[in-house]
Amino acid sequence: MMRVLAILFPFAWRNLWRNKRRTLITLLVVAVGVWSILAFNSIVRAWSDSTLTGSLKNMTAEAQIHAPGYLDDPDISRSFPAPTGQLKTQLNLAQIAAWAPRLRTPAIVQSEYETLPVTLVGILPQREAGVSFIADAVKQGEPLRDGDDDGVLLGRHLAEHLKTRIGKRIVIMANDASGKLEERGARVKGIFSALRGMEDGFMFTGLHPAQHFLHADGQLSEIALMTAPQTPLDTVLQHLRHTAPQLDIKSWAQLQPITKGIHDLTEGFIYVWLWVMFVLIAIGVVNTQLMAVFERTREFGLLQALGFRPSWVVLEVMLEALQIIGFGVFVGALAAYLTVHALQSGISLGALSAGADFLGTERVLYPRLDRSEFITTIVVIWGLGVLTALWPARRAVRFDAIEAMRSS
Amino acid sequence: MTAILQCNNLIKQYQQGETTVSALRGVDVTFNKGEFVSISGPSGSGKSTLLHIIGSLEQPTEGEVILDGVSLAQQSRQQLADLRLNRIGFVFQAYNLIPVLSAAENVEFILQLQGVDAKTRRARSAELLRVVGLQGLEDRKPGQLSGGQQQRVAVARALASHPAIVLADEPTANLDSQNSDELLALMSQLNQESQVTIIVATHDPRVIDHTRRHIVLTDGRIETDQAKVA
Repeated sequence: MMRVLAILFPFAWRNLWRNKRRTLITLLVVAVGVWSILAFNSIVRAWSDSTLTGSLKNMTAEAQIHAPGYLDDPDISRSFPAPTGQLKTQLNLAQIAAWAPRLRTPAIVQSEYETLPVTLVGILPQREAGVSFIADAVKQGEPLRDGDDDGVLLGRHLAEHLKTRIGKRIVIMANDASGKLEERGARVKGIFSALRGMEDGFMFTGLHPAQHFLHADGQLSEIALMTAPQTPLDTVLQHLRHTAPQLDIKSWAQLQPITKGIHDLTEGFIYVWLWVMFVLIAIGVVNTQLMAVFERTREFGLLQALGFRPSWVVLEVMLEALQIIGFGVFVGALAAYLTVHALQSGISLGALSAGADFLGTERVLYPRLDRSEFITTIVVIWGLGVLTALWPARRAVRFDAIEAMRSS
Repeated sequence: MTAILQCNNLIKQYQQGETTVSALRGVDVTFNKGEFVSISGPSGSGKSTLLHIIGSLEQPTEGEVILDGVSLAQQSRQQLADLRLNRIGFVFQAYNLIPVLSAAENVEFILQLQGVDAKTRRARSAELLRVVGLQGLEDRKPGQLSGGQQQRVAVARALASHPAIVLADEPTANLDSQNSDELLALMSQLNQESQVTIIVATHDPRVIDHTRRHIVLTDGRIETDQAKVA
């Protein structure tokens, strides 16, 4: 077999270049197809990842732990004790990159001029790094020092609506764990900048002052967590659910079904595009190969008369397809690599930034080529492309040697 | 004389719509090693069909061909391909060289498929091209050779693998008289030197003159089969 391959490989290469123009056009079709699949894939994925990351950073994280019923009625009474024992040990394992305990409740915030509804969130600021946006979103004033800090962070828009500023006092009202309305004054320590919804709807303070204020010492509304890279979220959640069956543990996909839907739709788009381009490539290759086979009817008859086995005829046509698709895939992949490399500094969404904000996408996208996806796409296109050449190859082997040689 | 090829009661019928056309109507003939045989007859007499059946390119409707003791009817498609590769050389009317290969590569191609090492096949190709008078033109592609030169390459290719028989279908049909004479002299010389059996289907009286046995086919039957006196 290797001997025959060694003979047929250069033979197929020469046959390929008998019609340079046709071969170059086919090559171009394959290369452009592969380039568009890989480049489009990396840009769309950059958008999709950016939207997902943005969405997860907006307080959702990859997963959350709650007391049962909290998600249906986010009341302070549906809280659970801060993790201890096995649950704490598990949260501190290397599989979980970061986790942040929070106490969260609907509240009313009042300034000298306005009264507005808001979600009050008590946090441990250091723990929010890598979990939510708030760790590095403070643009004016100062971030919270630690979990004992009783200052508050307001969103830029909320501060504007309240007509308040850094250093001014505001009043927070909320129901405590027993349902009694509590009220406390707090000083605006920082103004953060984030998505409009976040700026309008959230107010942050230290976890311990929040627990104290709501008479929920040692209690949490939620734990948000992010897994370490390459760690399967489902496995982590399975272990957590096993350890704390009394708690409600949900993934981001369950918490944010719309985000999940958009993410799946984007993935679907990528695959649809891949298949559309692949069908175009396949049509180009099959068409070219069929033309090449029918133009060489006489020659295939001759080869069979000279002692070419039927399997060698198939192999010869397949090798031609293998080479032209291989060459096209190489050129397309190289062009895609160079394109993505040139865009490494980012694609500014510019005029689309308002829409990007709405979708939670960052204003600059950073396309990247995922190595395994890059290789898989190349191998799949090459493999399927060569398989499509089976049709012309089978036509070639069906030629009757005598009839073939009679044809001109 | 050793019989190298036997045709036993060969019948070949083609179906054309509802009509059955008989190309061969029971041909019995034996060819011996080293013979140079011409088969002639009017168009439609069945000479090309006989050649194709001998060369295993077509199957007879009835009867059998035995080449070197092997019945072709018993062979699979792949075995027949191997048989053509190793035991039969073809020379066609329209030269039929592989256009992407040079003259030397066309000759070597069969040897390459047989698994002959590079050194041996280069030497064999060079020797054959020298014998057919194409020394110095080894690297030319078929398109750069005249019709006569291409037919010489085809003869060299047919002989390259030391076949048991060479089948030539109207080899001079596309050649002028000078090239025809040269080709026939060459085939005659190679037949005598290598003792390969050459069977030529032809209309050309010059070809018939060069052969030492002449078979006339009429309506799919052997009308005459005469050995010539040297």
